[in-house]
Amino acid sequence: MTVNRFWQQYFGTGLVKTTEDFGSQERASHPELLDWLAVHFIDTGWDVKAFQKLIVMSGTYRQSSHVTPELHKRDPANRLLARGPRFRLDAEMIRDNALFLSGQMNDQIGGASVKPYQPPGLWEAVGYTSSNTAKFQKDEGDALYRRSMYTFWKRTSPPPSMTTFDAPSRETCTVKRERTNTPLQALNLLNDIQFVEAARKFAERILREGGETTTDKVNFGYRWATSHVADEQELAILSELYEQNLEEFTNDPTSAEQLLNVGDSTPDPVMNPAELAAWTMVANTLLNMDETIVKE
Amino acid sequence: MDLFEENVLQATRRQFIGRTATGIGTAALASLLNPQLFAETSAPESAGLGGVLPGFHHAPKAKRVIYLFMSGAPSQLDMWDYKPELEKMFDQDLPDSVRQGQRITTMTSGQARLPIAPTMFKFNQHGGNGTWVSELLPHTASVVDDLAVIKTVNTEAINHDPAITYIQTGSQLPGRPSLGAWLSYGLGTMNRDLPEFVVLNSSWSAKRDAQALYNRLWGSGWLPSKHQGVALRSTGDPVLYLSNPQGVSGSTRRRMLDSLAALNEKKFEEVGDPEINARISQYEMAFRMQTSVPDLVDITDEPEHILEMYGPDVHKPGTFSYNCLLARRLAERNVRFTQVFIRGWDQHGNLPNDIKSQCSDVDQGCAALLKDLKQRGMLDDTLVLWGGEFGRTVYSQGTLTKTNYGRDHHPRCYTMWMAGAGVKSGITYGETDDFSYNVVENPVHIHDLNATVLHLLGIDHERLTYRFQGRDFRLTDIHGNLIDGLMA
Repeated sequence: MTVNRFWQQYFGTGLVKTTEDFGSQERASHPELLDWLAVHFIDTGWDVKAFQKLIVMSGTYRQSSHVTPELHKRDPANRLLARGPRFRLDAEMIRDNALFLSGQMNDQIGGASVKPYQPPGLWEAVGYTSSNTAKFQKDEGDALYRRSMYTFWKRTSPPPSMTTFDAPSRETCTVKRERTNTPLQALNLLNDIQFVEAARKFAERILREGGETTTDKVNFGYRWATSHVADEQELAILSELYEQNLEEFTNDPTSAEQLLNVGDSTPDPVMNPAELAAWTMVANTLLNMDETIVKE
Repeated sequence: MDLFEENVLQATRRQFIGRTATGIGTAALASLLNPQLFAETSAPESAGLGGVLPGFHHAPKAKRVIYLFMSGAPSQLDMWDYKPELEKMFDQDLPDSVRQGQRITTMTSGQARLPIAPTMFKFNQHGGNGTWVSELLPHTASVVDDLAVIKTVNTEAINHDPAITYIQTGSQLPGRPSLGAWLSYGLGTMNRDLPEFVVLNSSWSAKRDAQALYNRLWGSGWLPSKHQGVALRSTGDPVLYLSNPQGVSGSTRRRMLDSLAALNEKKFEEVGDPEINARISQYEMAFRMQTSVPDLVDITDEPEHILEMYGPDVHKPGTFSYNCLLARRLAERNVRFTQVFIRGWDQHGNLPNDIKSQCSDVDQGCAALLKDLKQRGMLDDTLVLWGGEFGRTVYSQGTLTKTNYGRDHHPRCYTMWMAGAGVKSGITYGETDDFSYNVVENPVHIHDLNATVLHLLGIDHERLTYRFQGRDFRLTDIHGNLIDGLMA
């Protein structure tokens, strides 16, 4: 059971698909492997850390996620693992990843839960009117940028950016999350203050650390977001987007100013607002790319 | 459509459209040309209706549902279940032969007496069949010929949280999918611009201290979360994160989305994962929602006589009347399931005053909604439901006077009404005893009600199931009988 759940963490699906119920459910895709992993886990003294290393260094895990129509036809769900895993990150990881890229991540360990950005009125709409969590009060400063596991959880109204990306409601024990793909997720990543501010701060990093030319900067951002180098076409798409936005924001400084004021943190005053706004839109694009929010 | 087939179509589409230097705009264009090419692939879908069911189990009567939910449990004794004999029994003790040792809540179980509290409101007969309706509901009374008033709805739950979770999800314990989520899962969507399950939470006028609602009431339980209800908000963005950030115009967003689509398309060509195409189409739907949702909530195109019908509240976003009008607009746009919640019905004390304000909150909106649907011919294929999670007691909680009393929770019988598609109109269904305490004839358990609702939508409630933790679950669990007497 345990090694199967570890497997699920890395591959998206367990060797037994129904990780919550071995019972009379679907058979293991690789029963001998499952046995071997279980015995190995016991023999190595239940060493959880070593077990993670074992999986991530395996040839199976390090395969490419590339899928051909032929391969897909033979094994659409990749149960036989002829290719590497490819699945969307969990809710918490998507937010944490954006915070990390933006350089805003507060990596303090432990402590009380925090209340990062949340649209107004959500708690009031459903909460018990005299409860001590009737009204949402956003935290300030560093608390806004803590890892998502520290986000305060009100069960009558859980944080929307978590539940929208399939975090369970925490009302029943859930060992296997669904992975949906919805327009509300798109809106969340495009427009949520947390993600727009992260794009803004990511843009500052691009301007500060990304090198001299536009191409260098695009490359820098792309590489941080995806862990690989952009090719010519990708560079062209993003550079063109930057140039068009730069022109627009140069002609419309008010809009640039407004965009740079999204979120509590202040923009870097030495940076040119139009440039920073244009890079913010590029960063917003990078944070929304399939490749950024998908593990492959 | 399987992925292979889809890949072939993708290739065809690409050849057909051709490519610009960077591919910008092709995604948007293609989704306009044929949205089916971008059909979502992340969950099992069927060709027919977009849900898991390959087709309806039988011909549906109702295309869509509007469910007006009175959270807190309105008093059937003061609104619908007329018991004239009680007037003579003012302040007498509830006979043990009626209570039959039934469990009552701890809010009244400690009272020395359970004194009978007749309603202080007058009832009159209305409509062709002379249905008794309280003076609290003059507008609803005017459309009573369209209603099937059910006096014998019953449940086992006696407290709000389990009771409302029960009627919404079929289980008193949290964690199962709600009715609307089941519909989305089973039948899919009827439109491509709006969510298939929409929730509208209303403001209310009775005392501020109201029972909580919970996202789980429109949640998807263990079904994929895309089936959960989308709560439209009356302040700020109607749909969360709908608006672009300040400083980002529609055209800036469009350009960004085109670049994003080009990058994602390129990725698809490289790795062939169909989830990428699903994602591209979801971003396009998000963009369409930025237009379709504001259009939905902009009621300035409604003629004056319609607005008048819904009453003055209709001008105030978030009121029940406003939400009733939105519910009609959602129904027109083929949103399958809309649930309007209003809190404030939990009247343990000071009931006469509070119920007056609550009834004035809902009465005109309910009636207007029915009239409005009817005049558009939509009542024929729209099912409307009204009711709460349980009823209230005939005996008073707290001090009883001629003009003031309170009522405790009562699960053994309460009143709901249904109207529209496939429902008999102008009838009263079921009988309660002289105290509105026990069902005498034709009980309707909440499982029966849910089974009947599904039936009217073309679904056999025993055959819409989902396997989780080793067993097949359904909305009605292992219960539920169709109520033939309610169906036309």
